[in-house]
Amino acid sequence: MNMAWMDAAVAGWMGDFPLLPSPAAMQWGLQASWSVVLAWLGAMLAARCMGRRGAPVVVAVIVTAGVAVALAASAWLPGQAASSYWLGLAFQAPSMSAVLLCAVHLRAQWARWWAGHANAPQGAAPLAGSGAVPAEFAGRDAPRVVRWCTPDAVLAVLGVLLGWALLLDTFALLPVELYAWGFRPMAAAVLLLLCLTPWLLLGWGRSGGLGTAVCAVAVMVFVLLRLPSGNVWDAVLDPWLWLALHVHVARRLRLCY
Amino acid sequence: MHWSFFYRSVWARLLAVVLAVWAIGALEWAQHRAQTPAPLPPNATMAPQTPTALTARRALTAPVAPLAVWPAMVSAQPVGALHTVAQGDIPMPPGMAAAHASSLLVMPPAHPAALSIFWFSGDRESGPNVQIAASQYDRATQQWSAARFVVNRQVLGAQLGFGVRRLGNPVAWLDGRGRVHLFVVATGGGGWAASRVVHLRQSSGSNALDALAFAPVRVLPLSWLWNTSFLVRNAPLPLADGGMVLPVHFELGIKYPTALRFDAQGEFLGVARISARGYLLQPALVMQSSQSWLALMRDERANGKIGVAHTTDGGQHWRDLPDLALDNPDAAVAGMGVAPGALLLAHNSSLGSRATLDLSQSADGRQWARVQTLATGAPLDEFSYPAMAWVDGDLWVSYTVDRQRIAWQRLASKPARTGGQP
Repeated sequence: MNMAWMDAAVAGWMGDFPLLPSPAAMQWGLQASWSVVLAWLGAMLAARCMGRRGAPVVVAVIVTAGVAVALAASAWLPGQAASSYWLGLAFQAPSMSAVLLCAVHLRAQWARWWAGHANAPQGAAPLAGSGAVPAEFAGRDAPRVVRWCTPDAVLAVLGVLLGWALLLDTFALLPVELYAWGFRPMAAAVLLLLCLTPWLLLGWGRSGGLGTAVCAVAVMVFVLLRLPSGNVWDAVLDPWLWLALHVHVARRLRLCY
Repeated sequence: MHWSFFYRSVWARLLAVVLAVWAIGALEWAQHRAQTPAPLPPNATMAPQTPTALTARRALTAPVAPLAVWPAMVSAQPVGALHTVAQGDIPMPPGMAAAHASSLLVMPPAHPAALSIFWFSGDRESGPNVQIAASQYDRATQQWSAARFVVNRQVLGAQLGFGVRRLGNPVAWLDGRGRVHLFVVATGGGGWAASRVVHLRQSSGSNALDALAFAPVRVLPLSWLWNTSFLVRNAPLPLADGGMVLPVHFELGIKYPTALRFDAQGEFLGVARISARGYLLQPALVMQSSQSWLALMRDERANGKIGVAHTTDGGQHWRDLPDLALDNPDAAVAGMGVAPGALLLAHNSSLGSRATLDLSQSADGRQWARVQTLATGAPLDEFSYPAMAWVDGDLWVSYTVDRQRIAWQRLASKPARTGGQP
């Protein structure tokens, strides 16, 4: 078997070299990305808390927005006062996909408020494409495979598998150096193709295409800014997002079966 | 035509995917192309020893494997029997009780200092006040200068924009422009297993010790798992193109060695795994020829031997070799190829103790003979973490003593007799 193609793919330092972000861009990206993630986290927790307490819409909006803004601002504080300083210490920067997902959900929550549903529990009025309670699960008349085969579901499974592969690679348990491959110039194009293939084959369907759009935009932003690390795997998937995808896939399985 | 056509028609989606992938591929290609000058002609792939920025960048684009260079060939002196001609302790920063993991750096011939040395020092290993200390060996006075700190974790954290919990092993390198680079172990949220490798570059105009200052380039992106658990310990292997190969290792649960390549300006070029054996760490790269290198490694197992991996294509592919016959008490080794057929290794030679530090020599990398014992003491004494440098025909070795100070030795080389000449 001719393995020359594989050699060329895994040989890290032959041919093109990595393009890495500048230190200033990395620092800005770290603060900006944690700012968005913290804002989403704060808004989600505050909205749930307000919803459970049955707070009036105005109070819920003010409290939730205040928490979100405060947490977002905390990432931009100087030095050790910044939340991003400590989160970066432990986890470096989140992936672009995670940041985009948080931004989309934050915007969706804001949209719900405008629609007067601020106090509705999360998931009770699901977003199209959010994957919370996908529309295709409303009726169980369709075959299971059909109910499963949405682009976002396929992408979620691919994300879980990719994370496992990267984890095994981290511990040198794969025969190829997968993480190093993420520095190569063609990796972004190949990954974009992988992200879009489920949509190409299945269309958006009734579930929307949030995952597809997020992955595609994450790859595009990576190509332009090289954030967060210069490695395309770090741009599309981080360990926290990978763990969240496990939960997402488990929920879909439970709803489906 | 309604925009929904683009997701209802599979052909429209195919067109969109092709266009998107083509656009991303073209943009990536253009970005890489923009930073890659035209390759040199085939007969010019071997860059000079100290290249300019342009020649170094060009050499990288040529389809050749990295070529290592001999330190002894620079001084054009043959390697003979080694014997200690001077030794002592490196001055410690005032008030610091702990010192560990020194790294020697050969300075340019015109520099007032022959050597620089970097190590970490503080109240205790892994203490919050540990910083990277440095000293230089002055050619005129033949003395080590007073030590000073050159890297502080609070300052480093402020420069990086995120925290550094502890500082550890430093490794120094001089780039094609004569700038000092430091690669420093910096821990995240945990112990040494949560380490990252921070790349710092000299920010001061001079690399004299009193002016020496550093600014971080970046944390090297080496792992998907929050970029944790890669550490650096041993000296880089210099390349003919002015770049170098830096050995590092992973150590979360299992250990394995990896090599990183940098160009003459210190730009990160890529990574190649040396071995997947899960108990080898802290590789020391030893050249046998320009493209044939050995990685000699610490073995964390009980009753371990020095592990070996070999490459014949300049580090692009590695294969495991049987362990050396030399015992290794889970202790760092330092090695270097000084000249063809003259490989040197500093290592702790007894099982279960770092109380004896030996210097051994080999012609082929397999059979090693002890040249001399560098240091020995009671079973609980420690002489560990050796570092080596070759300067003007002399071998310099530094090592940790009882985790409290850094000792050094200078070993002169009597030229070997050749051709029947006296």
